[in-house]
Amino acid sequence: MQGYLGKQDHGSPEDFVHRLVRHLRNQVLWDFLVTFSPPILAIIYLAAVLYTESWMPALPLVMLVPAIIVIGALAVVFRYRPRVPSIPAAAHLMDAKAEAQDRFITLTTVQSSPSSDPMLARLRREAMGTLSRVELRRDFPYRLKQPFYWSAISSLALIILCHLLLNGTLTKSGVSPQQRIRELAEQMSHRVPLAEIGRSLQSLADKLDDLKVASEEKHSLIEEIQKRIAQEQEREQEQNNQDLLSDASSTLKSLEQESGGQGQAEQQNAGGGVQSNASQEGHGEGKDSEGGGDESKGEASAQLNPDMKDGKSAQGNSQGKGQEKDSGHQKEQKANQPDPSNTEKTTDESAGKMKENAEGRSGKNRSDEMPKDGPPAERYRKPGEQGPDSIKGAKYVTVQLPEEIAADSSGVTAASKDGKESKNRPKVPISNVPLPAHLPEAPAEKQRMPLEYRDVIR
Amino acid sequence: MDPEKFQESFKGLEAEVRKVIVGHNDTIRKVLIAFFAGGHVLLEGVPGLGKTLLVKTLSHALGVSFKRIQFTPDLMPSDIVGTQVLEEMNGRREFQFKQGPIFAHVVLADEINRATPKTQSAVLEAMEEKQVTVFGESHTLESPFMVLATQNPIELEGTYPLPEAQLDRFFFKLLVIPPTPVELREILKRTTGTETADMQEVLPEDGGQLINEMKQLLRQVLVAPPIEDYVVRLVHATQPQPQNAANSPVRQYLRFGSSPRGAQSVILGAKGHALADGRVHVSYDDVENVLYPALRHRMILNFQAEAENVSADQIMDELVKQVRRN
Repeated sequence: MQGYLGKQDHGSPEDFVHRLVRHLRNQVLWDFLVTFSPPILAIIYLAAVLYTESWMPALPLVMLVPAIIVIGALAVVFRYRPRVPSIPAAAHLMDAKAEAQDRFITLTTVQSSPSSDPMLARLRREAMGTLSRVELRRDFPYRLKQPFYWSAISSLALIILCHLLLNGTLTKSGVSPQQRIRELAEQMSHRVPLAEIGRSLQSLADKLDDLKVASEEKHSLIEEIQKRIAQEQEREQEQNNQDLLSDASSTLKSLEQESGGQGQAEQQNAGGGVQSNASQEGHGEGKDSEGGGDESKGEASAQLNPDMKDGKSAQGNSQGKGQEKDSGHQKEQKANQPDPSNTEKTTDESAGKMKENAEGRSGKNRSDEMPKDGPPAERYRKPGEQGPDSIKGAKYVTVQLPEEIAADSSGVTAASKDGKESKNRPKVPISNVPLPAHLPEAPAEKQRMPLEYRDVIR
Repeated sequence: MDPEKFQESFKGLEAEVRKVIVGHNDTIRKVLIAFFAGGHVLLEGVPGLGKTLLVKTLSHALGVSFKRIQFTPDLMPSDIVGTQVLEEMNGRREFQFKQGPIFAHVVLADEINRATPKTQSAVLEAMEEKQVTVFGESHTLESPFMVLATQNPIELEGTYPLPEAQLDRFFFKLLVIPPTPVELREILKRTTGTETADMQEVLPEDGGQLINEMKQLLRQVLVAPPIEDYVVRLVHATQPQPQNAANSPVRQYLRFGSSPRGAQSVILGAKGHALADGRVHVSYDDVENVLYPALRHRMILNFQAEAENVSADQIMDELVKQVRRN
């Protein structure tokens, strides 16, 4: 651009005007480039940001960027061409700068003729005399025009605004569902009525982080917790708790959507029925938990959760390993939750038993003890009754009913017994944690009797 | 002739006239421009401003013949152009053409609006055709020929305003304005003492030839196409056309706009102005300088303009603001 602007060898006035035209044309081009560049760069930048945040796939980005550049270039061309100063316009500017009284415009536009040649020659001489007053770089410097400032400010504002919006959205939605679930679990753990769900959520979060856990299992767990949340929501009166439950529910829904519902049917199937331990023998008898060794209580659900191989509770917190006996109680409860046939009485009995456990009885010893009168599967059958093939010959079986069946059956039973009570009575036990003494109005604890203790504890 | 000589002669003429006429510098220049452009000038002003003196002085400085016609209501065309008179020559009586006062290089038509339209029209042919026809016989007027008409904007009773067609034949219409106090003091000093101005002829004896050369040179002055375009747009803008905005002064106050003669006058006047400045090309400033005298009498105001006391110059002001230079 500056090549022809060096120390000027003033040619003829007409040449000088042509140089001025080129100079001004370049300035106009720069004007449009600097005016159109900020918005184009801003859009490209925002597209890149959206891409890096995974809000935009690569293909649209690849198509968008060239398209924006092409549109910008076209805009420059179409806006630039009409603004390129004509020779008369440039000559007019020269006249104004050199105070040449329209000599340049006359020289550059008048057509030569024999009668006008002497006049033109004289005019050219006069114009040459005024050329020394003008220097292109000095008298026609390039200055950024107002549109550039507007463009730059607008583009910056657009970038900042989009960043703020994106940050806001990312801050809100950028928390992973696992984190959100953990937060909710933490909040719920401080509220006694929701503590059990909180622990379930904590366990779910752990499983979600665990890549070894099958997606079907995660999905079924999510569904299970969702149902429990729904039940708790029906029962819960306090607004804050309701809010927490709603939040948890929506988070789980979003998780469910993410998982895409794959293997949902399979998971439902896997959630119920009777399975033999023939191939899984001992899987539920993992290591003792550091907290006290109630690990055998997790057998029932151990089939569903690989974690249970290690004696962990299906819904237990991995961090709870080594925690006190509460974790053991958790395991117990989780293991027994699916059993819908337990009555109120057995629940109370179970609570009493658990109290004993808490007082120092070794869970390991108990879990190692096999019932003396045959495998449990056979003990539950009437004499002469044939069970399913899958459990034939099994030393013991673990039974887990689908939660829906459990809930339905218990609900029906309760309703048939006492319709009035059934409204407040939970269909599925929610916690086996002993109630704190300082919460007299806490809902009655519902607990199921583990199958092993059905005939032992009264 | 070269432009320097033109400028020298022109400035000499101006200086010579200024020896007698105090002030009116612009009027003097414009009259001279019109003279070299081959046009006629209508001078308008109240009595006593020196209009007649200006014309007389100018013709004296130019060294050309000068006649004055005092227009009155009973003035007949033959009193201007001349008539056939019966004369006895060699024992025979023949009609001989007796030239009227129009046969001069510079004719002062004083208070031209006091004559009847019939008499005014007698001047019309002379101004445009540079010839007069008497009894079917045409008589060519000697070049240079210039009519300087004066009219009084007051005392309009018993006057016959010039028709548009005749007004259009005037190259310029110049407004002779009252002198400033300084000028008035100078006028008093010059006219109430014993000293008289010692005027000299600027142009040589064969001034006619020189004047014609100067007129030729004036037409050779260069005009850039954008400047011509500017003049065209200005003159065109005086037309009260439907496409003009309804609230534009042209639509509001004008009945008719300028004729093409207006544009011709502007260009020729601008050329004369440029040459008088020693330039061989017309500038935008030249155009705007002669725009008002060239167009003001060609823009026919309507009743609303007269009722609201809007002048053609005010409308021109608006037009100059509206029409861009290029």
